[in-house]
This record gives sequence, C-alpha cells and structure tokens, in this order.
Amino acid sequence: MAESSGVTLNENVPVFEYTDVSSKEFHIGAFRDLWLNALNLDVYSYSDTSPEIRDVQLIEEMGIEPETLEELKNMCSVESLRSEHEDTDTVPADPQLSTLKLRKRRQEYKESLTRDHIDRHEAYANELEMICVGKKPEDLGDLVPEGELILTFNVLYPVLFQRFKHVRAYQTLNVLGSQKLTELKDAICCVSDLQVFGEFSNNPDTVPQFISKDHYKSAFFFFNGTFYNDTRFPECRDISATTIDWAKTRDFTEFETAKMEDTCFHDLKMKVGFPYYYTHQGDCEHVVILTDIRLVHQDDCLDKKLYPLITHKHRVVTRKCSVCHTYISRWVTTNDALAPTDPCLFCEQCFRLFHYDDKLNKVGDFLAYAYVDPGTFN
Amino acid sequence: MIISASLTLRCLVAVEKACEHYWKPFKSDCEEFLGCFQQTESVRYEEFSVIWREMDFSSVFSGNQSHHEKKSFTRLTFTIVCNYLLPPYSFQIRVGALYMLYGLYNKQLVWPKEKIRVALKDWFHIQQFITEAKTCQHLDVVYIFYRLLSDKAFNFTAMPKKLTFESSDRVQHDVNEDFRARRDKVAELASVEMLEEIANVHRHYERMKNSLLPPSAGVTLQNLGGAVQKCTLEYKQWQEQIAGARSKDATKKDANQKSESSDRADMLAAIKSKSYGQLTKESRSRRHRRIEMVTTGSGTEFLFHHKKKPPSLRARTYQTLGNPGESEQTQQWLLSVMEEDKNALKRRDFKRFNWSETE
Repeated sequence: MAESSGVTLNENVPVFEYTDVSSKEFHIGAFRDLWLNALNLDVYSYSDTSPEIRDVQLIEEMGIEPETLEELKNMCSVESLRSEHEDTDTVPADPQLSTLKLRKRRQEYKESLTRDHIDRHEAYANELEMICVGKKPEDLGDLVPEGELILTFNVLYPVLFQRFKHVRAYQTLNVLGSQKLTELKDAICCVSDLQVFGEFSNNPDTVPQFISKDHYKSAFFFFNGTFYNDTRFPECRDISATTIDWAKTRDFTEFETAKMEDTCFHDLKMKVGFPYYYTHQGDCEHVVILTDIRLVHQDDCLDKKLYPLITHKHRVVTRKCSVCHTYISRWVTTNDALAPTDPCLFCEQCFRLFHYDDKLNKVGDFLAYAYVDPGTFN
Repeated sequence: MIISASLTLRCLVAVEKACEHYWKPFKSDCEEFLGCFQQTESVRYEEFSVIWREMDFSSVFSGNQSHHEKKSFTRLTFTIVCNYLLPPYSFQIRVGALYMLYGLYNKQLVWPKEKIRVALKDWFHIQQFITEAKTCQHLDVVYIFYRLLSDKAFNFTAMPKKLTFESSDRVQHDVNEDFRARRDKVAELASVEMLEEIANVHRHYERMKNSLLPPSAGVTLQNLGGAVQKCTLEYKQWQEQIAGARSKDATKKDANQKSESSDRADMLAAIKSKSYGQLTKESRSRRHRRIEMVTTGSGTEFLFHHKKKPPSLRARTYQTLGNPGESEQTQQWLLSVMEEDKNALKRRDFKRFNWSETE
C-alpha cells in the first residue's frame, strides 16, 4: 500500500543528524509533551489494569465479540512459543541458529581456560543495580510522577595517567527531567574535588581538613553555546568569562550564560549523543554525553530522593603504597632523594617511618603532598 | 597488579563489545526466520508459531552467560528486530517482526525484563502499521500489539538506541531487498490529490489560452486528468492479468528461461573477457603514462564484505596534525613491584578467543 510520503515531523521529534552518532537539537520539554499526547495514560502509568478491564478495552478498541477475543487469547498465548530445550543454562546439543553456534564456541573456550577472570566491574554493576531496581519510596510524596522523563548522562573521567588514556572511563547518571542542573553537578564524583592543597613535608601533622570541593565551588556546564554557571554560593566565580571573552576576540558566535540552579532539564534544548562539557575546580574538564531520554517506566526506580542515580561507575584500582604494597597511599613525595621514583606514593605509616627519625625531624630533602586516590569512590 | 587492573578495566567494555559480535549471526538468524515467514505468504500468528517452534528460536537466549551479558544480548535482539518493524519493509515482514518481538520479549531470561525501545519518530510509523492491520481485519496482529502495550513492554525514548559516541557502535543496517515493500509507483503518481492538481492546472491553462488566443487546436491534450486516470486503470488491469497468467505458466516458463539465461550469461561473459583482457590503447598524448591492465578479479573482493571500522579520533588527529614523538619508555611503576612478582614483567600469553573464526 502506498504510504504518505513527505510527512513533516514536528521540529522537536528527535531525528539523527549523523546516523547512529548524534541527533539534531530539540527541546526536551516539548519532546515530552509530544510523547504524552501520543499515548494513552494507561500505557505509561504505574498501575496495571486488571485483566477484565483490559479485555473490555480490547473488545471496544478492536470492535470484536468476546468469543473472538477468547479465541485470540488461546491462539496467541505464550505457550505456543514453548521450546523443547528446557535447560536454559546450556546451549542445545545440535544448534541450528548461528547465534547458538557462536555461543557454543565461546562457552567451550571459556571452559578451556584454566582460570577465568573474575569480572570485578560486573560485580560492581550488579551491586549498583541492586540498590535501585524497582525501588518504591515509603513516602508517596517522593514518588516520581507518571510521564516524567529520565535522562541518562555519561560523564567521562579526565585522563589522569597516560597509560590508561585508551580506556574511556565514565560514570552513568540518571536524572529526572524536572531536576535542576545543580543536582547533576552535585552528583558527579570526581577525585579532583577531594584534593587538599599545600606542601606539608615540614609539618605532616597539620594537614588541614578542608577539601577543594569546599573551597573552589565554581563550575559550569556548556550546552549548545550557553554556559550554565553555578552561582549558588558567594565564592562561586564565573569561570566561563575567560572563554567568552576569548571567543569574542575570535570569529565565534556569541556565547550566552545562564544560571545552573534556575535551569531544569525540561527547559534545555539538547542533542542526544553529542559530547558536551562540564568544568569544575577551574580546569578539571569532563566530557558529558546525553546518551538517552525516555519516559519513566513502572520497573524503574521510583524514588525521587535517589535521583540523580548512578547506574554505572568505572571502578578504578586503588594505588597502594610503594613500600608495603598493602595500604592505600596517602602521601606523594617529589624531589625525594630517598625514594625510588619521582613522584612516589606512601601510606601513612611508611611515610612517617621513612622520612622522619625518632625525634620527628625531617630526614633528607623532599616535598610531600597529601594524596587522594582516584579509587576512593569505589 | 597494575596489569590485571588494565585487563579488568576493559572487562565491562569487553562485555558490550562481545555482544556486538552476536550482531551478524543473530541478524542472519532473523533473516532466515523472516524468509521462512515470507514464504508462507500469510500473516497469521499460527504460521509464525509453527516456524518459531521448528527453529526453536526460544533457545537463542540459552547458554551460560553472566547477567550483564544476557541483558546486553536481549537489548541487541530487540534493536535488530525493531529495524524490521519499520518502513521500507513490506507489510508481511513487519508483521513477522512484531510477532518476533512478542516472542523474544516473553521468552527472555532476564529479570527485570528488558524493554523494547521505541523512538518517537518511529512511533508514528508503528501506529500507521497497526491502523492498516485493523482496517484489513488482521485481528491477531492487533491483539499482539495491544498485548505488548498492556504488558508495558515498551520504553518510549528519544532515539532507537543509546548513543554513546563510541565508534564501535556505528553498525550499518543494510535493508534486505527481498523484504522491501514494493512501491506501487503508478498508483502514487496518479493519486487523487495529484489528479486534482493536474485538473486544476489544466483548467487554468485552458482559460488563459482562450482569453489570449483564438480557440485553435492547442498543443496539449484535452482532458489531461481523465487521460492519466484511464492509463493507470489500464495498467492496473494489465498487471493483474499478467500476475494471473504468470502463476499458471510458472513451471512451463522456468525451463525455457533457464536455457535462455544461460546463453545470455555466456554471451556477456565472452564480451567482458574480451574488453577487460585487452590492454587499453593509449592515445598519443598520453604515451608517457604507463599502460594499465584492468582485470575483473577485483570485483570478487567486494563479495566478502569486510566490516570497515571508521578511523578513530586519535588516528584522524595523527593524520591531520602529525604523530607526536613517543615519550621515553621507562616504566617507573615497575621499579616498586615486589621481586617475587615476576608476572608483572611477563606478557600474558594465553590464546585469545577468535570471534570471527569461520568453521
């Protein structure tokens, strides 16, 4: 049958700008309205309609008799898809499907390995899932409303070690459409937020307790030509100003600024799959990609308090002390004549024993800084 | 210790990439299935379930896999089958895809169940498809769809799959020409709107002509709209006639056609070998250029389609800006490794699993 060609879609229907890479820009709130208009309420509501009501609705919708419906139900039941191969943990003996042939080969290979890798990442991902799957809040005021949008962001870690720059480590956060940008910002865990500044070789006992997160609160998101600055605290400065001024001197389009705490995700115009930008601590830059937007589903985590929700976190191995290889390192020294490498990591005890004598005098010449391990978020 | 870190760092990424290796075999399984369904020339669910049981398609999820692998694979199956649910595939193929989605959704081994992603731009096509099925009274199609809706099997999304900006995810879906819906181009051309348009323009033209020139014989046809309509009607009737005659003469013609086609093939092959085997004669002006021999051998390489990965950002940067010098190779982390831990220096030499090994 000839279909109507040239159906012009609303500009807020997401389409590919580059196939399988990123979409064109669209307004998120308008996109949500389009979906809600296209669907019946019971399709996306949390409650299950009882089977009787469902039958009545079907009869009306399809314009058929109840007996026809019964016939259809019998004919199209899941029983008709039953397979003879009951044991789902093994591949059937003589597979005809190419998928199964490949899987069988893979299974035989795995069984031939003398030692299988214990997948730490997967164990971690399972743990994260356990926390949030199907969670319903005790207080119904915290229930995520029906028809709410869930946005999924991948926040990539900046490359810390040259050796691991080929692995694109990231964490995945789910946020609700009605939440503000500041909530996403607070939820991003980055090790540079925990850094303690200062050189403490002369006074190792007086390491202050403040961390960079408390001191340097400025941050911004950069989406589609607009810088969203965090202006909640008086210490926050507009760190995007330098970039904007620089851009004015070159041939770029004018960039705009807006407040992070006043913007919620519904108000944004975004491209899905397109790399955006988040900066904090002045120069710690992260690439942020909006990977997915969808309507909330009955089986999702429905507790508003748990959002932004971390669904995937890259598990970094903690770096141990270079002396004992047992404890997590807390100190890093440079220009140290006694240490084998520059810089070198030490745990608390090894650091004291190595660099200070009985009378707590400094031995040798070195510079010591407090070290926060990237694996602290595990 | 650090080596195991770099290996496990890639483990989760490896699971995702492992699922991509199932793309090709699963797609070929789907095409086989839909091919069988197409041959039944019916859209009934009973026919579908017979094929499903015969091919034992439910077992596609079986095997000793981790929870994460099962989820990734289930998502992959939905992504692949959803492609067949949308235009430009024919109505029958789309019905087959809908039934397959129903089967895969109910037979998956993951809990909580993986949902079928539907993008907003595709939702309109699906609604059109279901309306078509309703008007043709294909009740099983409509029932299956509403059953999936009420089971909350769909996730209503912006794009058909998650876009993570990984170059490995860009797999092209080539449309299977056998499953493509055949467009009735003649009917499209002579649709009601088009005929009205033609009639309007024609009337306008006639009016203008009559006001400017004496009514002599014009260059245009009288009653153009009617003529077009008559032609299309004749064409349709002829088409139906041929279709009827073809099914009768199918067996008779087969034998004749085969001998005809083989003669023709021989002739073509002879012509090709003659033209390509010869050296191309140079013109005088180009004598300084080398004589090149064009062979037909290069054609066969394209039969074995290599999946070409697009060059990574790193490779493209090096191409445009030049490769920076490699930094010195001292591995400082090794200095603090324990003496006994000689494994750190040895390269793991186990045999890796070859995904694309052909048997």
